[in-house]
Amino acid sequence: MRVTDRRFALLLMAPAALFLIAFVLWPIIRFVSNAFFEISPIAGGKREFVGFDNFATAFASAAFQGASMRTIAYTLIVVVLEFSIGLTVALLFAALGQRSAILRTIFMYPLMVAPVVAGILWRFLLIDNFGIVNELLGIDVGWLSDPHIALFSVALPDIWLTTSFITLVLFAGLQNLPGDVLEAARLDGAGYPTLLFRVLIPLLRPVIAVALVVRGIDAARAFDIILIQTNGGPQESTTTLSLLIYRTMTRYGDPGLASAMGTIYLLGMLLVATAAIFAIWRPGAER
Amino acid sequence: MNGLEARRLTPKVILWTLLLAVVVLYGFPFVYLLLTSFKTPSDAIAVPPAVLPRAWTLENYVTALAKEGVVPALLNSVVTAVLSTAMSLVLAVPAAYAITRYRTPSGRVFVIASLVTRMVPAIAIGAPLVETMRVLGINDTSLGLAIAHTTISLPLSIWLMASFFEAVPDELEEAARVDGASRLGALWRVVLPVVSGGLAVTAIFAFLASWNEFLFSLLLTAVRAQTTPIVIANFQTQFGIDWGAMTALAALYSIPVVLLTLALQRHIVAGLTLGAVKG
Repeated sequence: MRVTDRRFALLLMAPAALFLIAFVLWPIIRFVSNAFFEISPIAGGKREFVGFDNFATAFASAAFQGASMRTIAYTLIVVVLEFSIGLTVALLFAALGQRSAILRTIFMYPLMVAPVVAGILWRFLLIDNFGIVNELLGIDVGWLSDPHIALFSVALPDIWLTTSFITLVLFAGLQNLPGDVLEAARLDGAGYPTLLFRVLIPLLRPVIAVALVVRGIDAARAFDIILIQTNGGPQESTTTLSLLIYRTMTRYGDPGLASAMGTIYLLGMLLVATAAIFAIWRPGAER
Repeated sequence: MNGLEARRLTPKVILWTLLLAVVVLYGFPFVYLLLTSFKTPSDAIAVPPAVLPRAWTLENYVTALAKEGVVPALLNSVVTAVLSTAMSLVLAVPAAYAITRYRTPSGRVFVIASLVTRMVPAIAIGAPLVETMRVLGINDTSLGLAIAHTTISLPLSIWLMASFFEAVPDELEEAARVDGASRLGALWRVVLPVVSGGLAVTAIFAFLASWNEFLFSLLLTAVRAQTTPIVIANFQTQFGIDWGAMTALAALYSIPVVLLTLALQRHIVAGLTLGAVKG
């Protein structure tokens, strides 16, 4: 009976497993192995083994270094702002209780909007001559044309799009907190800052970890939202790794180098995400 | 109701004001998009810009829909998203069920692998898939693109469905088995109806993942199977930028999903927070 149960389970998992092997694992293997070849972009062109040459080229390239730094900066901008706004709004919702439910719905809608639409919409809001943001604020800022601030500006639609995710996750976490712990903290005369930093945030640690890691990974992979706003400009100031890799592959026609860059990027992401999960979550520390 | 609510009146008023301000700020961009889509094309890019249209018109919608490739792209988006959702559910439901019910070690490998998939930059999968689809003879088709989109939604679907199956008591199925149902019959006739809400949530997320996806669509389609996000992106290079028509198409493409959000709000929140909060 046991054996047949196991076999039944394997049978149920097989289609999904085969699908992921064929359309996820195999492409990744191909992608990573391409990093060791010099590949002509023309179909049927030559393919020559070059060892770690592409990796050396990638590490030495100023474009790659710059794009790496910009990817890190972009991810930090997005995650820090989303977490600050997301937590604040989640606490507001929690403080106002059930009657804030309608506002929660409104707050959530950008999550469903396509990144391309969000990018184009914010480009329209921030555009130099007829942008409504400058008009309403009575200022004249070249949001997307000034290379010094463009990386921050392109992050705005991403923040608008997905802060709700952090809010919803943290809000759900807050709802699940044991009421007696909070009551005890209140009775002990804890002020709100103490309650927040000593009780709420430590209790929410696993939830915060998941929210930050998920958002961090997605922000580091941001592609369409940046492409549609600035296409990497002005003066490369918004060219993050995903844009650089895409361009190296398609426009500059160097799949080998692009694959090397992508492989470094993938390894970096795995490393940082794993480290982040262990640092914030500390699995096993409290249980 | 766990003691986080504000209790006195004055702080409540301040908090409500604060929250309303945040929500208005959050709602404004989309409202402005809608308002602009009803302006005349020249009004849409007037300097200085005005929030409200001087005259309301559907001109932008007519222009957008009349542009070559727009209507086929909208249809492609629907076909691709429906196909991808179906594939995602058909593959994810049995897998998730096996993972939660039989707890084999291979199931755990599966969950971890699914999570790692999320960390892979899309281009590392998308670029090699171009070749794969060509070999399979389905490049530039909705089927090929739907398969690519399923690589995104399948891990998420397995994760979500596993959480929903987790909540179904084992006894329910055991009772069905005692009554003579086969394992597959118990899953199909007894367990699936219980998790129908969860199925709906999973379907919504799979649909959205495909509906909103950009990079795979860019890499894997040329003309025939092009989806709307690509057409929206192409608006700006082909004829300069027709902002009026662009806002109209962006609005057309977003309104169905925004309405869906409002209608299925509770389910969507459940889906978004389930995996994360359960940790």
